[in-house]
Amino acid sequence: MARVVTAARPGVAAEDWRAAVRAASQLLVDAGAAEPRYVDRCIATVEELGPYMVVAPGVALAHARPEDGAVALGLSAVTLREPVKFGHAENDPVDVVFAFGSPDRDQHVGLLGALARRLTEGLADDLRKAGDESEVRRLMEEVAADVE
Amino acid sequence: MKGKEEPLQVLAVCGVGMGSSLILRMTAEEAFRDLGVRAKVEATDLSSAKSAKPDVILGQGMHTAEFEGAAPVVIAVTNFVDKEALKRQLEGPLREAGWLES
Repeated sequence: MARVVTAARPGVAAEDWRAAVRAASQLLVDAGAAEPRYVDRCIATVEELGPYMVVAPGVALAHARPEDGAVALGLSAVTLREPVKFGHAENDPVDVVFAFGSPDRDQHVGLLGALARRLTEGLADDLRKAGDESEVRRLMEEVAADVE
Repeated sequence: MKGKEEPLQVLAVCGVGMGSSLILRMTAEEAFRDLGVRAKVEATDLSSAKSAKPDVILGQGMHTAEFEGAAPVVIAVTNFVDKEALKRQLEGPLREAGWLES
């Protein structure tokens, strides 16, 4: 099982989707899982390809490509104090933003499988209800521990 | 029959092919399993999907609009983690295509 760097922050003040994606992806940089340029590439990916990564009501999954500066397998989450719009017809507004990075196109497959499973079980609401930083961090560590 | 002896070829598409589409793949695999339809679900990006000849294409509406007619069944999925909603969306088209017994 690949080691996963996780990070999380609740109650982030973000004025728009760019700030929200920046906050989530910056956590990967701060945790040593990505180079600083990864943050801009996550924003650029939404700009270039559209808001399809708003994968469920209120939930976005930001990422860029391995060659954009992902140095370790990492997954982060922020919850937003005020929801923001990504421009998705059905799933806006968004108040939970995940970011992930993978050093290649394979290592993250199990991690996203675990994330999908936990999302199905209500992870987004668990994060929204989490009381403090330690609790959101613990929830993300649980996702990483669930990787098969 | 496809869906029984031979698995359906299913593509879960997104922009890059390594994030959202993997989430959708997980949900789709479980939806097909619940429906009793054999399916090989792959996550892919838009440009790779265009050169493939799958039986079913799944993705956000902003993407599936580009694939109308590219596969017998093309379904716009809004919530990538809602297996029950996806099953409801799949049932009719799969039955119509002869891949789901009633």
